[in-house]
Amino acid sequence: MMTTPGGNGRFKALPTAMYAGYSGTASSWVAKTSVSASGKRIQREMAELNVDPPPECSAGPKGDNLYHWIATIIGPSGTPYEGGIFFLDMIFPSDYPFKPPKVVFKTRIYHCNVDTSGNLSVEILRDSWSPALTITKVLQAIRSIFLKPETYNPALPVIARLYLSDREKHEEVAKEWTLRFAK
Amino acid sequence: MFSSGNVTSRVFERQIRSSPPGASVNRARKFYENLVPSHTLYDVECPDHCFRKFTEDGLFLISFSRNHQELIVYRPSWLTYTSDSDDTLPPLPRRAPRFDSFFTHLYSVNLASANELICKDFFLYFPSRRFGLFATSTAQIHDSAPSPGAVPGVPSIDKITFVLLRLDDGVVLDERVFLHDFVNLAYNMGVFMYDDLLAILSLRYQKIHLLQIRDSGHLVDARAIGYFCREDDELFLNSSSQAMMTSQDKNKQQNREDDAATISQPDAENSFLSGIKQRLLSFIFREIWNEESDNTMRVQNLKKKFYFHFQDYVDLIIWKVQFLDRHHLLIKFGSVDGGVGRNADHLPAFFAVYNMETTDIVAFYQNSAEDLYQLFEQFSDHFTVSSSSPFMNFVTSHSNSVHALEQLKYLKNKSNSFSQFVKKMLVSLPFSCQSQSPSPYFDQSLFRFDEKLISAADRHRQSSDNPIKFISRRKPETLKFKIKPGPECGSADGRSKKICSFLFHPHLPLAISIQQTLFMPPSVVNIHFRR
Repeated sequence: MMTTPGGNGRFKALPTAMYAGYSGTASSWVAKTSVSASGKRIQREMAELNVDPPPECSAGPKGDNLYHWIATIIGPSGTPYEGGIFFLDMIFPSDYPFKPPKVVFKTRIYHCNVDTSGNLSVEILRDSWSPALTITKVLQAIRSIFLKPETYNPALPVIARLYLSDREKHEEVAKEWTLRFAK
Repeated sequence: MFSSGNVTSRVFERQIRSSPPGASVNRARKFYENLVPSHTLYDVECPDHCFRKFTEDGLFLISFSRNHQELIVYRPSWLTYTSDSDDTLPPLPRRAPRFDSFFTHLYSVNLASANELICKDFFLYFPSRRFGLFATSTAQIHDSAPSPGAVPGVPSIDKITFVLLRLDDGVVLDERVFLHDFVNLAYNMGVFMYDDLLAILSLRYQKIHLLQIRDSGHLVDARAIGYFCREDDELFLNSSSQAMMTSQDKNKQQNREDDAATISQPDAENSFLSGIKQRLLSFIFREIWNEESDNTMRVQNLKKKFYFHFQDYVDLIIWKVQFLDRHHLLIKFGSVDGGVGRNADHLPAFFAVYNMETTDIVAFYQNSAEDLYQLFEQFSDHFTVSSSSPFMNFVTSHSNSVHALEQLKYLKNKSNSFSQFVKKMLVSLPFSCQSQSPSPYFDQSLFRFDEKLISAADRHRQSSDNPIKFISRRKPETLKFKIKPGPECGSADGRSKKICSFLFHPHLPLAISIQQTLFMPPSVVNIHFRR
């Protein structure tokens, strides 16, 4: 049991009873003991992320499943996403890093690179993916589209068009979305 | 005060001395030490109904017919009779020990329809307009078929109807129907009334329905909290989603809508967090994030305390809800097993304070949190808020009575583990609405009694053959009166389990005790009053 400094036990580890019905949600559940090449790679990247995390974002494996991560991006100040906390699913394929992770927003966002189901589509997670990229790099890339969307490669062209033609209106709508769905 | 306990001297004293500012009601209540329901009429001849409760203003006695079809309402009245005897305590006339000497039948209304029955454990009173809220429901289905948006594992009730009724004349004013849903109706657990606001918790669809009771007697939807937080979120999302799609997408969407799946519904392909969960998770995330300023430590903390438990937090469901004031709700979260099961005390649970206006989570605690317990100990009256009725302010709690606090501290010192004690105490949160009797005989500054046998809480209890003693708090601590349920000479069969309930009038020295033996339907009703 870990204890929280000054937190009066608010976030103590949950009793194991809670895990009675718990099962890994990703299809590629891998036990920690048999670490495959992709698993080793993810663990190495986790260590790297822990040492030098990019600003205002964080990520970690969900439960004990190394292939299913949750990432959190704090809406950068100065953007319409300010004040929002965005949660994302990051699902790593078993042949990672040869294939990119799949990134899905769990928090609604008004953004031209995120489709209506939350799927993120950015260059580096598609055509320009390279096995040299790491989780840290992916997080940095996600954070950068909050600052500057990839309007040339949109999942929702309508939003991209609005961003380019009427920036003010775009910011206003995005702000409203943040306020309603991402606080 | 150093005054005498004698009623005559109290009356004199009241004439010559005014009570300290703000304490006139407290002083007037001291008269209850002299006026007690010490006389018992055993096994009173009375109609065979389920007697539910006195309304908190004492105007109505609510009862239901045995077949759970009819609501029967009585007006409590005082026994009046004349006697030509010169004795100080003349014998009661032969016709006095009857139910209708104390209660006048006002009306009976049939509330049940078709296969719905009245839920006898549910009743809420809206005192300012004298409306009553009742519930009828069909039978509960335990292995209900899963449906989109419903929490698996929660039972389903085909139809639950809430009926708002004007108690003055028994006219049904409005109804609200929930289909294939589950609201915990026992002891008003799933519904909370605060002034004119009503929070109904749908356990199955994880939605808090906020309704307003209008003076006209209409139930009006104010908002629903759950998948969305603001009342117009869904509208906003639908309209801007329409605008977001290109014409090609729109065609696709059209086809999908034909399959009766709209974009805003929580279906399988749409895995967004619900509104309330997003608020909860972002609150937890922020707390952990701000706890540590060192980057690497923070990453470790988040990994262990947040990401590792992420799915557990996502899987939490709302168990129970109460109002703290017009804008704040106290919400209890737990795992699915605990929402419906009875003995959920050992399961981890969390409390959140939610502001409905800003849609923010204001505070979040685990059920072993000592700081929440401290608030509960010191400010328990702020949790039991609810009613505008003056009698309700005098319901004893450990925050307004030194005697109750003493009792609580005794229990606290006696318990082996403080964290277990905290968990046990916090089980009572959120409070059930209108679950306490405002009767002065339960005021612990006036009387002492065994809380295991009787208390202000509206519960059935196991009954013993011994009378329950009410002992005065003031010195000398004398026995003031006894309440004995069941037949006068005790029951012949000492083995069978007997269940007892007590209905105390909110301000008259009048109480009813109902004793039931399992499998022996005619219950024994005693009337306790002051002669």
